[in-house]
Amino acid sequence: MKESIYQTVCPGCGIGCGLYIREDNQGAVSIDFFKSNPVNLGKLCRFGMKLPHYFSSGAFCKADEPSSMEGAIRDAAARLKGAEKVAMLSVGNTTCEEHMAFERIAKTLGSAVHTGIQAYSKLPPECHSYLEGMPFQDIEKANKIVLFIDPYVQYPLLVRRLLAAKRNNSHIISVGTKELHLADENLSITPNEYSQLGLDSNSVIITDLHPHTDANDIIQLLNLSLETGAKILTMKPFVSSEGVNRISKVKTTSKGLSQMMDEVKKGNIRTLVLLDSDPIELMPDTDETVKSLKKLDNLIVISSRKSPVNEIADVVISTEPLYRKAGTFMNTEGRIQENSGTGVTGINAMSSLNKELGSEEFEYGQLHEQVMAALTNEGQKSGYSKIKNLATAKQCTGGYVLKYLYNPFMWFNQLDDNDFVLINLNMVRSLKLKKGGQISLTSENGNIKMRYRVEGMPDGLILTARKLPIAIAGTTSVKVEGC
Amino acid sequence: MAEKEWEPKIVAFCCNWCSYGGADTAGMGRFQQPSSLRIIRVMCSGRIDPMHVFNAFLEGADAVLVTGCHLGDCHYVNGNYKAEVRYQFLEEMVKQLGLEPERLQLNWISASEGEKFANFVRDVTAKIKELGPSPLKPEGVN
Amino acid sequence: MVEVGDRLLGYATDPNVRSKGASGGLVTAVLAAALEKGLVEGVVILKRIDEYEAVPVITDDVQEVLSSGGSMHAVPVNLAKYVVGKKVAMPGKPCDVRGVIEQAKRNSVDLSNTYIVGLNCGGSMHPVLTKEMLIKMYEIDPEDVVGEEIEKGKLIFKTKSGEEKSISIDKLEEEGYGRRESCRYCDVKIPVSADLACGNWGVIGELAGNATFCEVMNEKGKLLLDTAIEAGYVEVRPADEKSISIREKVNSAMLKLGDEWKEKVFDEIPDKDRLKYYIDQFADCIDCGACKEVCPVCSCGPDSKCTMFHSLADNYKMSMYHMVRLLHLSDSCIGCGQCADVCPVDIPVTTIFRRFANPAQKNRNYMPGMDLKRPPFLEVMLK
Ligand SMILES: Cc1cc2nc3c(=O)[nH]c(=O)nc-3n(C[C@H](O)[C@H](O)[C@H](O)COP(=O)(O)OP(=O)(O)OC[C@H]3O[C@@H](n4cnc5c(N)ncnc54)[C@H](O)[C@@H]3O)c2cc1C
Ligand code: SF4
Ligand code: SF4
Ligand code: SF4
Ligand code: SF4
Ligand code: FES
Repeated sequence: MKESIYQTVCPGCGIGCGLYIREDNQGAVSIDFFKSNPVNLGKLCRFGMKLPHYFSSGAFCKADEPSSMEGAIRDAAARLKGAEKVAMLSVGNTTCEEHMAFERIAKTLGSAVHTGIQAYSKLPPECHSYLEGMPFQDIEKANKIVLFIDPYVQYPLLVRRLLAAKRNNSHIISVGTKELHLADENLSITPNEYSQLGLDSNSVIITDLHPHTDANDIIQLLNLSLETGAKILTMKPFVSSEGVNRISKVKTTSKGLSQMMDEVKKGNIRTLVLLDSDPIELMPDTDETVKSLKKLDNLIVISSRKSPVNEIADVVISTEPLYRKAGTFMNTEGRIQENSGTGVTGINAMSSLNKELGSEEFEYGQLHEQVMAALTNEGQKSGYSKIKNLATAKQCTGGYVLKYLYNPFMWFNQLDDNDFVLINLNMVRSLKLKKGGQISLTSENGNIKMRYRVEGMPDGLILTARKLPIAIAGTTSVKVEGC
Repeated sequence: MAEKEWEPKIVAFCCNWCSYGGADTAGMGRFQQPSSLRIIRVMCSGRIDPMHVFNAFLEGADAVLVTGCHLGDCHYVNGNYKAEVRYQFLEEMVKQLGLEPERLQLNWISASEGEKFANFVRDVTAKIKELGPSPLKPEGVN
Repeated sequence: MVEVGDRLLGYATDPNVRSKGASGGLVTAVLAAALEKGLVEGVVILKRIDEYEAVPVITDDVQEVLSSGGSMHAVPVNLAKYVVGKKVAMPGKPCDVRGVIEQAKRNSVDLSNTYIVGLNCGGSMHPVLTKEMLIKMYEIDPEDVVGEEIEKGKLIFKTKSGEEKSISIDKLEEEGYGRRESCRYCDVKIPVSADLACGNWGVIGELAGNATFCEVMNEKGKLLLDTAIEAGYVEVRPADEKSISIREKVNSAMLKLGDEWKEKVFDEIPDKDRLKYYIDQFADCIDCGACKEVCPVCSCGPDSKCTMFHSLADNYKMSMYHMVRLLHLSDSCIGCGQCADVCPVDIPVTTIFRRFANPAQKNRNYMPGMDLKRPPFLEVMLK
């Protein structure tokens, strides 16, 4: 009847909800509520509730077998020695300490760790600190809140903060996507109309920053904030997004995930090292990504869970599941939380790898100190001035647009009951869709028939909360037909 | 062109042995069945799960009728007693929900009671016309 | 040898257990004896993390049981689901006990080998709100708290420096703190459906604070207590009339207070607004399923009527999930408050469910979780 209980943080998004993971003696995993956690009072969203599935769908490691671990490390080292055109990616889906260890290896290799967010490199560096999160309690005090995200689907534990704000008479406006039940106003406006939002210094703008965020969208909001004094809360998708982006030293030259995949495709990156970051899951177009990755000379994966990239990697160094790791996380409000676990398989593996590569070994303790120093270092915020819009790439104009509604299930390719798209009533009428019928979507990548659900949304927009094989990017032009 | 009068959608669950027969008799007889009626035949009123009733409402029924054999006449011993117990819970729930109680009705009707069936449906239809569309009716696709 | 129906005052013989215990350590000692003597294979204990946090675990280590004494008022867990499928002994507030009984009705728990030591319960508090309350109302740093106690309607906190501060629960609740809402109107304060019903009401004089009032509710309770006495883990003596009547009096006073809260919480929503109110409340639901997962009376697995007939693709005004659950719980809800505690969007799920359960249960003169005699009504009936 021996059970192990781990106090940990949900890896579903940057909110960083606290929870317990219970492991029984047969290794079965279940969740428990961590009610005294100030982030979430123990509450969890749909993804958090399904974490046992997330954790058990993995054949984590043969890490318990030292021989295979050693072999993997030696193999990885052999491949990395003398490798050219090396790139390293860690989006922040593990502990900050592991990320730090990964940074050490990067240093040994004369390379850099990218967090996959390109927007940083496109913004003046003095803006970066304005994209750091802020305490969620501040949301509750704002007199006006503008949402550029769908909190219900994307960052669910934000909903209760917004509802609390509403009880405090905050006025909530949702811009751009689906009509939100909690919003007082649902607007479909373009950036030049943002002035009509009537923001001031007691307002909060909530948006998000992830590998596929368009830098222009962020620029618009930074400018809006500059003009009105409204604060920006930038939500982030991964458990350590906030932490690793604060730690990252290469933000000004930071490569976006798509950009990296482009370079892989073109052969400008020939060796890719991944730390708990699976491009196959993270990129919008699965098949295309697999094709590109197969062109690499070396694909080395350090991973704590089973994900598709493990299948095609040359080397997989598998580490213990996230909840068993010793380590620290920083959530989007800048709160530091620590795992109760003591696992250092991942850290030790990276330490051995670093040694094999001819550099020094390291220990968890050192990394932890380094992490704490980096995370608690309050940088000076210096002001920024109005930012010029970037030249934009092709815009999907007219026609119908299929857009990804990024959410934890989508980032991690987890199955959910969401095999339908969202469309508005006008579309239902114009396509003469029947109740219980399907909508047919066609893009360059082919055709798919989907069930649909009706929502209040701008005309021409089709939203999906799961990845679809016909998608080419986060937004894809499609032709639609009723069927 | 004059606005067509609104026709409610009424879903009636009828048991195979009695009330469905009643509906049939009503149809065959001289009683005009309102176009609003949708009959769902079940083997016994005991088969009617409250879930079916919710589903009917959520899919847009303006009223739901639960019918079966007279108490004591159930062809599966006591199916209609079970239906009755469930119905009582349902009735209380519908009341608490704030849905007008007239939208959910229970009636025991034998195969020969065609007229009773017809009158029942007619009365409910008239009442629902007064009440208007159900507030649980979904918007959009129909 | 004790008898069913006996009302006793008792305590743990081990001075450590006795002093660590909430009121004499009897409960801890009884649980430990049950394990030691092989009555059960394990015991549910609350593994303490700090004053405001504990996780239920099942242990087969007697020492671990012995060191688990003390009442945690700011840990509003429900233990019922932890005993499913196990041969264990557990402590339990009335809502824990009622949950176990309902699980037993649904054949998920075998009561013949599950032993329940009931605890009287005046209510539990939400940990995060408790910390906030300490700062705002007590002006105490939550980290400095070393103990808490409820006495004569007052909530008392003790600090490291030996300081004590008390504020009346009424006052705290006026300010939105104090007990969880469901606890305020909870209608079972003495767990008469447990095997033993223990508490500190009725413990007076020199024994106050270091003895437990214990009523033997059934044969299993007798076995539990006899086992503990034989093993030398506890000592008991009959409670005198004064103790018994004080316990009764406090219980009635608490129940009366509960009724007053009921009036307040369940203010009538006009007929014409109710549907809109419920639709509006559930419109924020993000379908996490937590309210079902935690519900101590629900014994359905993941594939149940409320989940299998519900789809995220539905365009319904209210989801099938909630419709089905509102009905299924109208006869079974025990008002434990778990569902509201875990709802990620702060829907007052418990209050809503009780709005349906209160009349349904009252009309049938029925309280779930009190005995095995009456089954859930939707399943079986027919006298
Ligand atoms: C939330 C709460 C409120 C209470 N309110 C009253 C009251 O108003 N009047 C009254 O007479 N008695 C009340 N009690 C019971 C009382 O505090 C003592 O538990 C009881 O007198 C037994 O004392 P003991 O020393 O024998 O228990 P102990 O030997 O200290 O054993 C206590 C047992 O309770 C368990 N426990 C602790 N916290 C919880 C919890 N939150 N949920 C479930 N189990 C828990 C422990 O794991 C342990 O097994 C309450 C108990 C709790 C937990
Ligand atoms: S809101 Fe984010 S962190 Fe919280 S449970 Fe959901 S996915 Fe996990
Ligand atoms: S619901 Fe009742 S038994 Fe449960 S903790 Fe609250 S007051 Fe105690
Ligand atoms: S519905 Fe809620 S309050 Fe009622 S028993 Fe279930 S969890 Fe407890
Ligand atoms: S806990 Fe709340 S959000 Fe989750 S399913 Fe229940 S009502 Fe919905
Ligand atoms: S067969 Fe008609 S009610 Fe059972």
